[in-house]
Amino acid sequence: MKQAPHLAASVAAVFVSIMAGVAFTIYANLFEEKYVHSVAALEHIEIIKGSAIQRVALQQDDLLVVYGGSEIVLLQTRYQAYRFFSTYPTGFNVFDVANKGASALTMAQKVAALGEDVRGKKVVISITPAIVTMAPLGEVNPDHYNANFSQLHALELAFSPHLSMETKRLAAKRMLDFPAILEDNLLLKFTLENLAGDSTTNRILYYLAWPLGRLQIAFVTLQDHYATTAFIRSHSSEELRVTRQPEEIDWSALAAKAEVEQIENTDSNSYGVDNLKWKQLEELFVTPIAAGSKDAEFIEDVKNAREWGDLEITLRVLHELGADAVIFSNPMNVQLWEKLGVSEEAQNAYYEKINSMVSPYNIPVVDYREYGTDKYFDMDLAAHTSRKGWVYVNQTLDKFFHGVLR
Amino acid sequence: MSIKRLINFFTAFYANPLGRIFILTVYYLAIIAGLVFMYGKGDFSTPDFVYQGF
Repeated sequence: MKQAPHLAASVAAVFVSIMAGVAFTIYANLFEEKYVHSVAALEHIEIIKGSAIQRVALQQDDLLVVYGGSEIVLLQTRYQAYRFFSTYPTGFNVFDVANKGASALTMAQKVAALGEDVRGKKVVISITPAIVTMAPLGEVNPDHYNANFSQLHALELAFSPHLSMETKRLAAKRMLDFPAILEDNLLLKFTLENLAGDSTTNRILYYLAWPLGRLQIAFVTLQDHYATTAFIRSHSSEELRVTRQPEEIDWSALAAKAEVEQIENTDSNSYGVDNLKWKQLEELFVTPIAAGSKDAEFIEDVKNAREWGDLEITLRVLHELGADAVIFSNPMNVQLWEKLGVSEEAQNAYYEKINSMVSPYNIPVVDYREYGTDKYFDMDLAAHTSRKGWVYVNQTLDKFFHGVLR
Repeated sequence: MSIKRLINFFTAFYANPLGRIFILTVYYLAIIAGLVFMYGKGDFSTPDFVYQGF
């Protein structure tokens, strides 16, 4: 030791750093546990690319973690689940992990990043028909995928000891379809390429990358804790206050009330489209389209949408990690799609496909198809949740949380 | 304590094998702290993007 003071000193410095990291992690976990209910009631998009607060949320008896996309966040209303349940009227609140443009591939990575922490825990995966029925090739927009990409989640999936090689291989192949976001993540890119490859060399290189990958995950996890505690500290004690007010909810009366509000917000058109989205959609309805004339094209698009492959990856992840999951899907907006030449019968192709995809995994699907003809469940063509729709969704969330969803 | 006495103190301390290791440890910790300060924050924010909603 005396002959090699630099070696001894560097080892000591690394040891002290590791201990400091461990101490900070313990502190951050306690801090996150203290404020996780506050975070649930706040918009917290700043930290959904991490996993720290999600892990803590999963451990709470009175939080239900919901993964989703724009259907969760687009319409800012008091009926949104995280606002509606913020006073714990029926004993719980939701913890949203949602952002505009998030697709099944993003959600697969988010859930995979939780590893064993999600086993046996109730989680909701919310999807909409939008990507499948409206996006080119039924595939997530690369800009949306890249914006929602999390280095931590991708690394956790790639180096997960809890997922099968086949699931990781399927995910890796899809993730490589979005190369731009991997440009700055050389280790991740290298790992995904070797995961996606079939040769023995690929397998050896993948395992050689494993220690580096776990090391990087450890660093990024510390950064995640730092970002989460900084996010919490950026709010005042008033903003972080949680109040609990148990109350009986008359769901029918609430739906009627929300419908009135929704109608008030659709006065720019006769289709029931929310004023927020009408400008974007109105030109689609200028020229009448013959009923059923687009059926064949629609059914073909639904059948071949790439989003299904990504949903398959999500389902595999949920299954292999043993999550107690449910899949929510907003309904097709029957009336609007009929105006665009797609009959109600053809629209059913979506429900048939999603149910046939999920069924082998014994995961329940709530597809709300009975509300497809309700003009005010969806706020637009892409099935974003309206005020009234939120009441139905909230009622289902309540049933799922309390174990009475049938 | 004057600067000269401080220098003398550290020189004597550094001459001691254990003292040298201690000072080098502090030196390496300072480097690690600097790296953490410069690169350790991470970025978990969602970049601005145009949501091409349907």
